[in-house]
Amino acid sequence: MAEEYNTDGMLDIFLYESEQLLESLQDIVLDNKDEECFDEGAINEIFRVMHTIKGSSGIMMFENITRVAHRLEDVFYYLRESQPKNVPHQELVVHVLDVADFIQGELDKIKDGESPDADPEKILEELDKFLTGIKSGIVEKGKSLPPENTHVEPNQFYIAPTATESGKFYKISVFYEPGLQMSNIRAYTAVYALKELAEDLKYIPEDIISNEGSGDEILEDGFHILIQTQSPLDEVREIIEKGTGVERIDIYESSAQEFTLGFRDESQEEIVIDLGEQEEKPREEGGAEKAPKEMAPGDYVIKAKEPGKGKKLAKHQAKGQVKQSFISVNIEKMDSLMDLIGELVIAEAVVLQNPDLRVPGLDLTNFQKASAQLSKITTELQDVIMAMRMMPLTNTFQKMNRIVFDVSRKLNKDIELEVIGENTEVDKNIIEHISDPLMHLIRNSLDHGIESAEDRVAAGKRAKGKITLEAKNEGGKVYIIVKDDGKGLNRDAILKKARANGLLGKRNPDELSDKEVYQFITQPGFSTKEKVTELSGRGVGMDVVVKNIQAIGGKLEIDSVPGEGSEMSLKIPLTLAIIDGIVMEVGDTTFVVEIGAVQEFISIDEGMMVKEPNGEEYANIRGEYYPFIRLCDQYHIQGDAQTLEDGIAAVLEYEGKKVCVFVDRLISEQEIVVKPIPSYLKKVSGISGCTQLGDSSIALILDIAGIM
Amino acid sequence: MEDLDELREEEENPLKDMYMTFKSGNEHFGISVSNVIEIIGMQAITQVPDVEDYIRGLINLRGKIIPVIDVRVRFRQEALPYTDRTCIIVINVNGTVLGLIVEKIDEVMKIDKNNISAPPSLSQNANASEKYVCGLARTADGVKLLLDPERLIQDEDFTSFDDLEDMENEAEEE
Repeated sequence: MAEEYNTDGMLDIFLYESEQLLESLQDIVLDNKDEECFDEGAINEIFRVMHTIKGSSGIMMFENITRVAHRLEDVFYYLRESQPKNVPHQELVVHVLDVADFIQGELDKIKDGESPDADPEKILEELDKFLTGIKSGIVEKGKSLPPENTHVEPNQFYIAPTATESGKFYKISVFYEPGLQMSNIRAYTAVYALKELAEDLKYIPEDIISNEGSGDEILEDGFHILIQTQSPLDEVREIIEKGTGVERIDIYESSAQEFTLGFRDESQEEIVIDLGEQEEKPREEGGAEKAPKEMAPGDYVIKAKEPGKGKKLAKHQAKGQVKQSFISVNIEKMDSLMDLIGELVIAEAVVLQNPDLRVPGLDLTNFQKASAQLSKITTELQDVIMAMRMMPLTNTFQKMNRIVFDVSRKLNKDIELEVIGENTEVDKNIIEHISDPLMHLIRNSLDHGIESAEDRVAAGKRAKGKITLEAKNEGGKVYIIVKDDGKGLNRDAILKKARANGLLGKRNPDELSDKEVYQFITQPGFSTKEKVTELSGRGVGMDVVVKNIQAIGGKLEIDSVPGEGSEMSLKIPLTLAIIDGIVMEVGDTTFVVEIGAVQEFISIDEGMMVKEPNGEEYANIRGEYYPFIRLCDQYHIQGDAQTLEDGIAAVLEYEGKKVCVFVDRLISEQEIVVKPIPSYLKKVSGISGCTQLGDSSIALILDIAGIM
Repeated sequence: MEDLDELREEEENPLKDMYMTFKSGNEHFGISVSNVIEIIGMQAITQVPDVEDYIRGLINLRGKIIPVIDVRVRFRQEALPYTDRTCIIVINVNGTVLGLIVEKIDEVMKIDKNNISAPPSLSQNANASEKYVCGLARTADGVKLLLDPERLIQDEDFTSFDDLEDMENEAEEE
């Protein structure tokens, strides 16, 4: 049936919207999971979410989703109307999450182009049982729950494709079989199909999407459509007949005048479904516009209109729910905008410092005023684009909430999650990279870190375990800390395992600091857990975490106090895109090094140098010896500095190790936009990216870890 | 799927038989116009240390950083000094954008399929440059060696790096 109407465009919207709804559903549920019961607002919200999913999946003909959503909606309808006491709240939470998972699973299948074929019977049955459970004890209510009006707005849907003067007008009345479920959805499906041939279309009841009560109205009074089309009557009839449950169709020819009058009362508000390709009719201008939810992929749909009229926003806003006004933009577009702004800054420099301006005696007063203004604007532009890329960690953290809930149930441990600083903002790219590592760390803490309740009590701790997830912004870096109050890491066990795996080498274990020992667990294949559980202990994990974190220029620090818990801190850069750098030159090649890594610059003379017979050099700076690397030799570049006195050395630090790097000269300190090295080039050790400088030349970004 | 689409595209492509020809050393080469994005003059090239000698470095093409290779060096010929006739042909091969430094651009010409013959295959130790030539075109002013741009960028080194990355990705997914 799904193929009957072309629903491709709608599919994307359906998926997008349903996922958003599921996300908000989970948030509500998890926010309330420790309460006694859901409050009224939460119940209404869950009801609304399920209702919308039911409606839209009905249109898309994903029957399983519709059924499950419908059943959960029933449950919440009952909760809302009867306000039963003694609802097993935990059980309900699990049910809701199960449903969310089921729908999410189906959505994933749809996304992968498979058919959503999971068996909903089990969930349906459980929900039934649950519903019967809470119903018993209270007055028996009939099984069938009358559909409830959730939105009572007399809105008229007005679908307006290119209206031409020719074309015929029909008045159609469709009657559905009595007792048909969700006749409003069937009606909408018919409307959607008719839209293909319609030049203009109106229908009543108007609120078939938002108002389930309209279903009854349709059953009783029929569904009435006014359509302007070029197609013959038979074709129109055929299309409607394709829908299921149609009992009778009446089609009359109608007139343009009647069409304009529509079914409408003066007071009615118009709703415009913008089909994207047509011009709007003049009378719609300025009217309060709303698009039905199914048509709005984001929170805002910016409609493309003729320029000059200004853009109108069709806002998708659920009732009683304050949503932030977001617009979702493809990240690629953001990246290209950023590139362009970078170019603009460079172009600006080229214009403002153009050699042609250096004509003696030229009066540049006005030019300079104007250029100052231009500079201001470009600087602001840069700030804005950077701010646009920043996103709060809220969503990522909320996902962790769910994991803690699931896993702690599975492990039968009572664990709470405390979240601090979830509003900390990080670059969008980074957010994508930290979600998985974070999940892993949390799972580790849940599984290995926190002991069972008995052990905890025996150790004199609170029975309820606690994991703290904290984000903070410090010195241009973001710290994300996962802390648990579990048993901590076992130094001896780690050492034993490290020795068994040959990781220890010749080092004397007694000389290793705790932190160094803990770092062993980040080695591939390292797991001290004897027993492999479903969740962790397979030894793939920490090394992947570390790899992912390093890929975005971050690092993982592990700290632990035996018996009191452990703390994993991720230290990640605020943004991947822009760093503060020191620009240096070696011969004709320009290098940039991140400013945070630079300890100091120092002039070196021969007297400070120590040379090993194998060619390795060390610099003695104030009594300390640093490995000395000449970039010109390292990269086989012809350097300008003939003697040490001609150049300058930078002391760089990475993870506590220091190295002295010798370059020809320093150029400047500036903010640089990081770009990846084209993948065509093989990886060059010690170079992590490139950037363009103000004069549009290219500089290579030194990766300190790589040159050590 | 993609290949199919590409094929279809090529069939409908009016530029299909059009080739941009350029001179490098004593030979004249041709490259399908559909791969060519633009031609730019020689510009400042930032050298990248520790890469193959034919990769001359990186250039900044209006904010996009792309690698450039010297066609002569690529074909194991001796590099010539760059002159004001030296150009960079910016090509796009399956999403990889790179610049080819060539001695001199000749023209854009139509070469009929019937005038293109497959390069004669020699023994296994054929000259390295022949690997990149996908056809010999007879034209009014001599023979042009038609380059296979995919082979040009997909040498063994390139593939192995690609594979490596795939392997890494797989490992991470585990």
